[in-house]
Amino acid sequence: MITPGSKYFFGLTGLSLIAAILYMVLVNPSDLGAVALIGLAASGALIGAMALFTRDGDVYADEEAVAANAVAGPPSFWPIVFALGAAMVLTGLATVSVVFILGIAVLIGGGVEWAIHNWADGASSDHEFNKFARARAISAIEYPGLAAVVLGVIAFFFSRVFLALSKESGTIFFIVAASAIFLVGILIAFKPFMKGAATVIVAVVAVVTLVGVGTFAALSGERKELAVAAEEDHYDASHRECGKEESKHYDHHANNSVSLRSAVTATIFVKDGKVYAQSMGISKNVDTITIPRSNSTSVLFRNLDEEERRLVVNLGTAKVNDTGDVKELLGTCTQLTGKNQEQVMTLTIPKPATDPEQYSFTVPGATGKIKLVVP
Amino acid sequence: MSHSDSPHSSEKAMDIVNNVKSSSHRIRNSIASIFGIVLLAGCATNAPQDTWQPKGDNAQIINNLQWIIFPMAGVVGVLVFAFAAYTFWKFTDRGQPIPSQSHGKPIVEIILTIIPALILTVVGVFTFRGIFELANTEDTEMVINVTGQQWWWEYDYPVQTDQGITKPIISSGQLVIPVGTKVLLRETSRDVIHSYWIPALNGKKDAVPGRINLLRLQADKPGLFAGQCTEFCGLSHANMRMEAIALSKEDFAKWVAGQQKAYTSPAAGTPAKEGEAVFLNQCIRCHQVNGLKKADGTPAIAAPDENVYSGAAPNLSFLMSRNTFAGAKFDLLNKSCREDVWGASPETIGAKYLAGVSQSCLNETDLRAWLRNAPAMKPMYADPTKLEKSGGKYRGMPNLGLTETDIDKLVAYLLTLK
Repeated sequence: MITPGSKYFFGLTGLSLIAAILYMVLVNPSDLGAVALIGLAASGALIGAMALFTRDGDVYADEEAVAANAVAGPPSFWPIVFALGAAMVLTGLATVSVVFILGIAVLIGGGVEWAIHNWADGASSDHEFNKFARARAISAIEYPGLAAVVLGVIAFFFSRVFLALSKESGTIFFIVAASAIFLVGILIAFKPFMKGAATVIVAVVAVVTLVGVGTFAALSGERKELAVAAEEDHYDASHRECGKEESKHYDHHANNSVSLRSAVTATIFVKDGKVYAQSMGISKNVDTITIPRSNSTSVLFRNLDEEERRLVVNLGTAKVNDTGDVKELLGTCTQLTGKNQEQVMTLTIPKPATDPEQYSFTVPGATGKIKLVVP
Repeated sequence: MSHSDSPHSSEKAMDIVNNVKSSSHRIRNSIASIFGIVLLAGCATNAPQDTWQPKGDNAQIINNLQWIIFPMAGVVGVLVFAFAAYTFWKFTDRGQPIPSQSHGKPIVEIILTIIPALILTVVGVFTFRGIFELANTEDTEMVINVTGQQWWWEYDYPVQTDQGITKPIISSGQLVIPVGTKVLLRETSRDVIHSYWIPALNGKKDAVPGRINLLRLQADKPGLFAGQCTEFCGLSHANMRMEAIALSKEDFAKWVAGQQKAYTSPAAGTPAKEGEAVFLNQCIRCHQVNGLKKADGTPAIAAPDENVYSGAAPNLSFLMSRNTFAGAKFDLLNKSCREDVWGASPETIGAKYLAGVSQSCLNETDLRAWLRNAPAMKPMYADPTKLEKSGGKYRGMPNLGLTETDIDKLVAYLLTLK
C-alpha cells in the first residue's frame, strides 16, 4: 500500500518530470534548469521510496497503547527564538544591516532547532528516547555552530581590546593572555581536580572577563592615532601623503609590520641627508635601479638618519582631463620610517617610460635621486 | 583416443610453446637493444645539453662533484645488485632445506651502519663544499635580470658602466655574456614557476614569481650553449628553450654598442617602411621596438599588459641581431647559416654571431609561418574564444589574420631591426 507521505513525494516526482520534459523541449535540453528539474524528480523519487519503506515513520501506530500513558515532554523555547529572529529581520530592514544579518542567523538557528525538537518529540512515545534522538540529530550542527559563535565572540572582543590599547600595551596584553591560557591548559591536563565543574567555572569567568573588558574597550573607542587617522582619511590612497608628514598620528612602528625582505632587487639608503642605493649583485653603489616591466618588484628602504623619513617613487604624470592641460603626479610612498628602520615598497610598472628621466626614487627632505629604469 | 592425445592438438601445443619462446626472445632482444641504445647515447659528443661537458667554472664545480659521487654511487649500486642477485640465485626454493636462521649479529649491524655513514659523510663534505662554491656571488662582475614567462625568457641588462652598458639593454631568447666574466643572473617570473638551465654553464635555478633567485654563469671560451626550461610551466613548456652565447670581451663590447644604437626608421617608399606601418598597426599592441615613433611623432609604447596574461611580450629591438625567435623555438637563421655559427671555432664565432641575420641567411619559412598563424607553430593559449580563465588575455601570440602582403612588408621591416 502506498503511504500518504510517499504520495506527496511521488506526486512531486511526476510533476518535476513533466516540467523537465517541457523545459527541455521548449527551452533548452542542455540547460541547467533541465538538470535541476531532473534532480528534483530524482530527489522526490528517493524520498518517496524511503517514506514508503519506513511506512512514513509512523511509530504511533505500533505504540498506541504505550502512548496513552506517555508523559508529554517539556515545552520548547525555540519558537520564541524563531520569533525573535523574525523580529530582528524586520527591525534590521528598517534600521541597520547588522541587525538584519544577525536576525537571519537567529531565524535559521531557531527554525532548525524548533523543527528538530518537534520531530524528536514525535519520534516515539518514550520521552527519554526522544531526547536521545534529538541530541543525536542536532549535535553535529549544534557543537560546531556553538564553537563558531564562541570563537567569533572571542575574536571580536579581543580585537576591540587591541584596537583600544597602544601597540606596546597590546603586546603585553597578548603575552599575558596567552600565558594564562597556556597555564590553565597545563593545569587542566595534569591536575584531575581541575576537571569538570572547575573547568566550566574557569571558562565562564574567562569569557565573561573578556566580554566585559572588550565591551569597555569598545565603548572607550580606538586608540587616538587610529581614530585621528580615520578622521583624517589616512587610509584612502588618494589622500596619502608622500611629502613631509603633517599629521602626528601615524604608525610610529611601521617597521614592525610584515615585510617582504627576502626578495628585494635593491636597497635604498638615506644617511646624513643623502640618498644612495645598492642593487643586488652589484658591489658598488648605483644611481640607477632597473626593474622588469609588468612584474612585481620589491625595493627596500633603510633610514640611517635621526629624522623619520619615507621613500617616494615618482612615476611621472597622468592626464586628468581630455585635453591634457591638467595633470596629476603619479607615485606612491612608504610609511615614515624611524632611525635604523626599514620599509619595503613593492612596485609593478607595466610600461617603459617615454622619457628616460621620468621614473625616480626620492626621499623628501634628503638630497639625491635614484633613477628607476623599466626597459 | 582422447582429444588431447590427437596429433593435431600436440602440433598446436608445440606451436604455442614456440610462439611463447619467440615472444620471450623478442622481449629480451628489445630490452637489450633499448639498454644498449641508452648506453651508447652516453657516448655522444655532439650533445649540447650534456651535463658532463662543462664549459665554465660553475659547471665545472658540478662536474667535479659528479666525478666523485657517481663512481661511489656506481660501486655501491653494483655491490647491492650483485648481492641481491647472488641471494636470489642461491636461495631460490629448489626444495632444499631452509638455511639456518639467526637473529642479530652486532658486528654485521655495526659495519652496515658505519659504512653508509662514512659514504654519506664523504658525499656530504664534497656536496656542501660545492653548494657553497656555487652560491658565492661576492666577486660578481656583471648582473643580468632574467625573467621567465610562458614560454620565453627575457634578459635585461641594467646600467653597468664598467661593462660599457650606459643604457639598459633588453633582449630575449639568447643570453649574451662576455667570456671569463662572472655573470650573475637575477631570476624571476611573471606568471608561473620556470627553471633556468644551461647545463654547460651551471645547474638549474627556479624562476619564481615575486622572488629573485640568483644563478652565476661564467664561460671559459666563446661559444653557443643550449638550455631548456626544466620546471613544467604549461602547454609549451617543452618549447621554452634558451641559448647563451659567450663572446670575447671585444666582441661583447661591440654587441653592447650595437644594442645601444638609436633606432633608424626605414627609408620612405620602401617595403620596410610599409612594414613599419603594419608593425605600428598590429604588433605594437604587444611588442616594443625602442625608439619607434607613431605617425604623430610620439613614442610608440607597447601595451602587452593589456593583452597578454604575463604582462609582457618580447621586445623586438635589434631582433635580427639574435639567431632565434619565439622563445628560441625557431631559428632566425636558415639551416646552413645556423650550422655555420654553431660549428664555428671560438676564434670565429664572435664575428659570425655579430653579423646577425642577413636577407640571404634568414629562415623565411618559419618566420612567415609564425606571422601567418603563430599558435599553429607552437601550442599556446591564444584562441580568442577560450580566454575566460585568463581574464580575456592571451598566453602566447594569437593568429593576427595578417594578409600575405602584410607579411611581406613585415618581414622586410623586421630585417632592418639589427
